[in-house]
Amino acid sequence: MKTRRSIWLAMFLVAGVLLVFGANRGGGPKTQQERIDLLTSNLACPTCSGESVFESRAVAAEAIRSEVARQVAAGLRTDDEIMGYIEQRFGGQVLLVPRADGLDALVWALPVAVAVFSLFVLFSAFAKWRGNRPPSPSNDDELIVARALDERES
Amino acid sequence: MLASTGVSGTLGRAFLLVGFIGAVFGAFAAFTGARRSDQQVIRLIPRFAVLIFAASVGAFATMEYAMITRDFSLAYVQKVGSWSTPALYNFAAVWSALEGSILMWVLVLAGYTLAVAYWVRKRMHDPIASWAMGVMFVVSAFFFLVSFFPANPFAAGAPGVLDGPGPNPLLQNHVLVMFHPPILYLGYVGVTVPFAFAIAALITGRVDEGWLVATRRWSLFAWGFLTFGIALGSWWSYEVLGWSGVWAWDPVENASLLPWITGTAYIHSVLVQERRGMLRVWNISLLVATFSLTILGTFLTRSGVLNSVHAFSESGIGSWFLAMFAVVLVVSIGLIGWRGDRLRSPGVIDSPLSREAAFLANNVLFAVFAFVVLLGTVFPLIVEALQNRQIAVGAPFFDRLSTPIGLALLTLMAIAPVLPWRKATTETLRDRLFWPAWCGLGALILSLVFGAYGLAPLLTFALGGVSAGAALRQVSLATRRQGWRGLVGRANGGMIVHLGVILIAVALGASNSFSKSQELSLVQDVEAQFAGHTFELRDVVEVRDDRSISVKALVLVDGRKIYAPAITKFTRIGMNVGTPSVRTSLTADVYLTLEPPVRQDANEARIKVFIKPMIVWLWIGTALMAVGTVLAVFPGRRRKPTEPTSAPVEVGRS
Repeated sequence: MKTRRSIWLAMFLVAGVLLVFGANRGGGPKTQQERIDLLTSNLACPTCSGESVFESRAVAAEAIRSEVARQVAAGLRTDDEIMGYIEQRFGGQVLLVPRADGLDALVWALPVAVAVFSLFVLFSAFAKWRGNRPPSPSNDDELIVARALDERES
Repeated sequence: MLASTGVSGTLGRAFLLVGFIGAVFGAFAAFTGARRSDQQVIRLIPRFAVLIFAASVGAFATMEYAMITRDFSLAYVQKVGSWSTPALYNFAAVWSALEGSILMWVLVLAGYTLAVAYWVRKRMHDPIASWAMGVMFVVSAFFFLVSFFPANPFAAGAPGVLDGPGPNPLLQNHVLVMFHPPILYLGYVGVTVPFAFAIAALITGRVDEGWLVATRRWSLFAWGFLTFGIALGSWWSYEVLGWSGVWAWDPVENASLLPWITGTAYIHSVLVQERRGMLRVWNISLLVATFSLTILGTFLTRSGVLNSVHAFSESGIGSWFLAMFAVVLVVSIGLIGWRGDRLRSPGVIDSPLSREAAFLANNVLFAVFAFVVLLGTVFPLIVEALQNRQIAVGAPFFDRLSTPIGLALLTLMAIAPVLPWRKATTETLRDRLFWPAWCGLGALILSLVFGAYGLAPLLTFALGGVSAGAALRQVSLATRRQGWRGLVGRANGGMIVHLGVILIAVALGASNSFSKSQELSLVQDVEAQFAGHTFELRDVVEVRDDRSISVKALVLVDGRKIYAPAITKFTRIGMNVGTPSVRTSLTADVYLTLEPPVRQDANEARIKVFIKPMIVWLWIGTALMAVGTVLAVFPGRRRKPTEPTSAPVEVGRS
């Protein structure tokens, strides 16, 4: 039993080390196209509902896509700067990810609040159930059962 | 108005009217029959079910007839019909726009109503059966009415039209349009059945486990088709849309995902109620949520409200669905409140380390997931209503929030199957999870060897390994004990479904995180290289038919086989549609699209190449889920409820 426990411990340790190692190694350099794909999948196609520029084949999306491609090809701006530039040029509603300020922050905060709240409800339910456990039979109860069983046998 | 539509229009509307009247009378018969237990009235119920089914078949067939004969006196045929559409896509054109898809809803719903009537034919005198039939009739009446008035597919069109544009080019491009919508509707509409029984249980006050057990297969049937329909939609997106993705988190997709999430929560938590008699209110609420989300989803996606708040008043159908949604909620919540005392259950969950506690945790996660999807879908509406500005909430938002939820669900899938009911000790867990944990470690090492990186994908692979181990443990124990019967029944079939889900999670993790892409400007007969593959343009050809002009680039991949991504111009609509060409293999797909502008006479072409690792496992996982669902529907071997859970299952008893 003891050996098994140490195997478990070793397993967790190895898995932890591997995860840390894997999480920190990169996947090599991105191609230009991959940079364009990543940027455009965070930009909203202005004429569609909720589709990204990356997905959309609409004309308006095509315009933004080629602008992003131009910027990436020029190689002068970082990803963040390109996003800023596109937002400035095409207007604020071009972002597909809501910001974390003002009313828009609610879309991030509410899920967390709901998750925390439901976990709280779950834990308090368990606490309540723990307190509510049916009482164990007293000596008298057991006497009654024993008597009843005797009667049935005889 | 009727006069100018010709025979099809008049006939179709007549069928819808008959269907509506039949549904109203059916509901009336069911409700009075149930209240007074009047046998003569009750005997009428199945007849009305036959009547509305016949009416819906009549209306649908009339629409098909009008579409096939290109009856351009109808506005709907003018909108989606065309002489140049091939027969197959013309048949599917009937459900390619709003009015026709509501008509298909009517058909499927009437089919379910008849099927339920047949199923309960021998116990129609049981109030729960007749009340449930009544609810089915009421919902049917609503849809017949919607189809008769605001979404009338038989409305007269402008006079003098002799041809139309045909369906959206994207819907005449792949054979899946024949299957994806009907299968999805079988799931989407199918949740009406357990909902109807839940309402009937509330009305009759028989809120014990009887109705749950009785409708279990209906719920699984609907859930299975919903799952399969959603997966087919993803496949269609991948094969047709040309952005190489399977899920865009767009509102229409979310509308089908929402009832799937609550439905999945239900088919898990219902096990707790069957076993322990607990969570009655919760289970009924989940069914109500699932059904009302189908209505809300239809409202959100079909009323035009999501495109712009201002289009709302113009669209007739929106207010109908919103009203229906409100009625469903008010009636259900009212009934639950009214039956509150009977819904209270005496049981307690003894330990947080037990099967039932794991199901509870599962439900919390699914509830949060549903909330996230609903919030993200309607949030632009809220912002526009409050601050009159437009924002978009898209895939990156949903991806970011669903990743931790998905990982938490995978963790539960690893632990829950080895947990016993009532109470477990950490020793039990340590013993039973020993081999699954090795599977997880193996999966982690294997994925690192193959070059995976990043915390979320690596956790997905590792937890997927543990979950697969836990699922296989259950199946192998069961088959060792019971032979092939260890594969059927809910617990074992469910584990096969889990294996499918794990494959899907791993495939999504790999393809989302490790895709590669590059744009290549190919010149004829010159080889280009990307990601270890070679691409050589052989020719650019043009194919014409009477509805489209298609330009195809013939690309030799790895010197072995020619793939032909294309851009098709649908001349009538003036729309360009790209068609990707995909080389599938078990390790990675090579996904090619042709990029505009294209010229047929040129000896060069711009090609976009995506390398999508492990995508094929999405479809294999889906197939496994389907197989598992079928296995779960078969009755497995059960213990007597009075036996302790530790008792072995006797062999030779069913």
